[in-house]
Amino acid sequence: MTMLRSYYEEFVRTFGNVLFAVCLLLVWGLMTLAGVVVEQGKDPAEYFSAYAPPLARLILRLNVDNIYHAPYYVGIIGLILLSLAVCTFKRVIPARLPALRPVKIDKIPLNAAIDVPQDEGSTRARVEQFFRDRGWQIRKREFDGAEWTFADKHNWARRGVLVAHVGFVIIAAGTSVYWAKGFSGDMPVLVGQTVEVPHRRAALRLNGFTFKVQPIMTKSGMVYQPIDYVSDVTVTGGNGASKRETIRVNHPIDIGGTLFYQSSYGFAMKFLVTHDGIRSPELSGKTYFPGDTVTLPGGSRQIEVLQFIPTVDRQTGQPSSDPRINDPAVALAASAGGQTTPPVVVPMRTWIDVGDGWRITPQQYVMVSGLQYRYDPGVPLVGIGAFVLLAGLVISFYFLPARLFVCVTPQTRGCTVGLAAMTVKGYDIFETQFDELQAELRKALAPPEQRRTLSFAEAN
Amino acid sequence: MQQHMPLDEVLMIIALGAYVVGALSLLAYFFSRDEWLKHLGIPLVIAGVVAQVAQLVARYEITRIWPLLNLYGSLSLFSVVSVAIFIYFAFRYRLWFAGGFVVALAAVFLAYGVTWNEGTMPAVPSLQSYWAKIHVPLVVASYGAFMVSFVVSALYLLKYYYERALGAAGALERYAMAGGGQATAPDVRAADFRVRLDAPNIASAAAAGNVTAQWFNTMPSLPQLDILIYRIVAVGLPLLTLGIITGAMWAHEAWGAYWQWDPKETAALFSWIVYAIYMHLHTRSAWRGVRSAWISAIGFMTIMFCYFGVNLWISGLHSYKV
Repeated sequence: MTMLRSYYEEFVRTFGNVLFAVCLLLVWGLMTLAGVVVEQGKDPAEYFSAYAPPLARLILRLNVDNIYHAPYYVGIIGLILLSLAVCTFKRVIPARLPALRPVKIDKIPLNAAIDVPQDEGSTRARVEQFFRDRGWQIRKREFDGAEWTFADKHNWARRGVLVAHVGFVIIAAGTSVYWAKGFSGDMPVLVGQTVEVPHRRAALRLNGFTFKVQPIMTKSGMVYQPIDYVSDVTVTGGNGASKRETIRVNHPIDIGGTLFYQSSYGFAMKFLVTHDGIRSPELSGKTYFPGDTVTLPGGSRQIEVLQFIPTVDRQTGQPSSDPRINDPAVALAASAGGQTTPPVVVPMRTWIDVGDGWRITPQQYVMVSGLQYRYDPGVPLVGIGAFVLLAGLVISFYFLPARLFVCVTPQTRGCTVGLAAMTVKGYDIFETQFDELQAELRKALAPPEQRRTLSFAEAN
Repeated sequence: MQQHMPLDEVLMIIALGAYVVGALSLLAYFFSRDEWLKHLGIPLVIAGVVAQVAQLVARYEITRIWPLLNLYGSLSLFSVVSVAIFIYFAFRYRLWFAGGFVVALAAVFLAYGVTWNEGTMPAVPSLQSYWAKIHVPLVVASYGAFMVSFVVSALYLLKYYYERALGAAGALERYAMAGGGQATAPDVRAADFRVRLDAPNIASAAAAGNVTAQWFNTMPSLPQLDILIYRIVAVGLPLLTLGIITGAMWAHEAWGAYWQWDPKETAALFSWIVYAIYMHLHTRSAWRGVRSAWISAIGFMTIMFCYFGVNLWISGLHSYKV
């Protein structure tokens, strides 16, 4: 039991330490930076071509190629949350200004002594009124016959850090809700195709897709700027009711809580494949996406569909940078017996002879709308958490909890007002305000004729 | 036929000119402390800001496109916001001594931005959103605040290391002889915490006629500079947080997920973590001062990486150069 307790205390001591939390943040930051520098989610071969083999091996072995989903990345966030929780209970919630007790005023760096040629009682009353007028909360206590006045400001703002920490926890909770109940994915849909909406009794039909590209002459040459991508869809619900909708970038549609976004577009191809002049119905009926292969029967010959080219440069016969569809073509490559031919650009409705009586004619292109879907029930929680975090930052940065200690001591002629200040963020941060405060207090406590003189002197 | 230069480009030249001359005046003020140089520099810098705001408005009026969505536009906004934030802090906390450096940096960024001006370009679909008018200014404003904090941090570090270079041995005694009276070291510590934490070597060297020490001596004390850095970071960090939040809201609308682990998002998260570390360490008195100033300076380097490195060298969803 004692051993368990000592382990617990050690755990609380370590995880409640701000420097430990900072170390965790640092590790988190460095891991995050690694994910920025090393491109994520690429093919292993790409790492070997971009980095020296030992480094590429290290990247792959340590999961740096997918670092944000690596167990150790999630683990460090877990440790930060743990540290945050322990810090909150051990340091943030108990953190407070010192108890209402007398202090040695001259030992506190922010201190002042003001001699007032008036009696103790009226001076104390004026001092209290002075601070009250400026929004300070006044409390009085008597210690060994001496009356002390304690003035507090923004004491509530001590909770700012707590609020920020709570915000962070709410964000983490919202993210976890997505992991537990959410789903997302990509859905390339061909024009005319109907697809099932995942996890929903609904179907989505792509009636048409249009994209708008504007050629603009800039100072460094022609740029083809994409302006708009629009998917025209019909959504049919479980009850059979249909609704026509438009999906644009920045304008998703909601199907039973699942949002559909316009993310990209592309092209699929249909070919006329003939053998000795006879159409192959099996190969000609298919729709091919870039990366697909046309496997010709009776051998190992394959035709790879490399890409759709919207415009071919008529002079060079090569792909143009114009993404608008003017003179479309398809880039194909043939492979047989482990050998691949260089890519060939085949204009639409022209054929290419691939040997043994086989001919391929790119006949038609079909537009593909790249849709993304996502169901994330954690979004409201993440949003709330983000704003709670922000509120916590604002409270803790802009409202400084401060306490003034005031003791009025009678003297042979009048009295002395001893004033000292403490804040939860040290002394330097309050230095200017304290100087202004004590200057104002001096002026307020000065006899009326002196106050006039001061004002006159200041005016000049 | 003579071709007229567009109004926005004329205003840009005026702004750039005002910044350059204003920066030179304020730099000369830093080294000479001649008040007239400051009085010359301040109106010039304010005129630069006014001209640049007018330039942004004129560009919008001419093109009907928000001038924030490419590197030229965002750099223009970055420089005007950093100078505007600096002016606020300069009036509020008498920060004019740093003005020459801040305005010179802003002018450099603005001049670099001009090199990216490719003319009028409509926004790509993902940028055609009202969020662009919220998210971009917030993020760029945070960058501006961090640039001002970087300059003050750099001045802090210069002063600190100059103080150290002057030698620690017998520093307090020398200070006491130069202007601190007959106090012995422990008495000085007890009597005035500002002396305890400030730069006694610089003070004594300044009294002995060292010109460099005199420059540093007229700057605020090291603790005051530390607090200034803190106050400026305290403006930048909530702005960056709000910028990331609004960016997430926009991403949720445009790309289907509020967080995509895109290089720009993660680089911004990294900067946020660095400044969060700064804020955590600043709660501990042992970490205030030189260590905090270093973290603030490193923080700005991460901001620069997030701004330029990700836009120019790393491809991702935020690669909007022109």
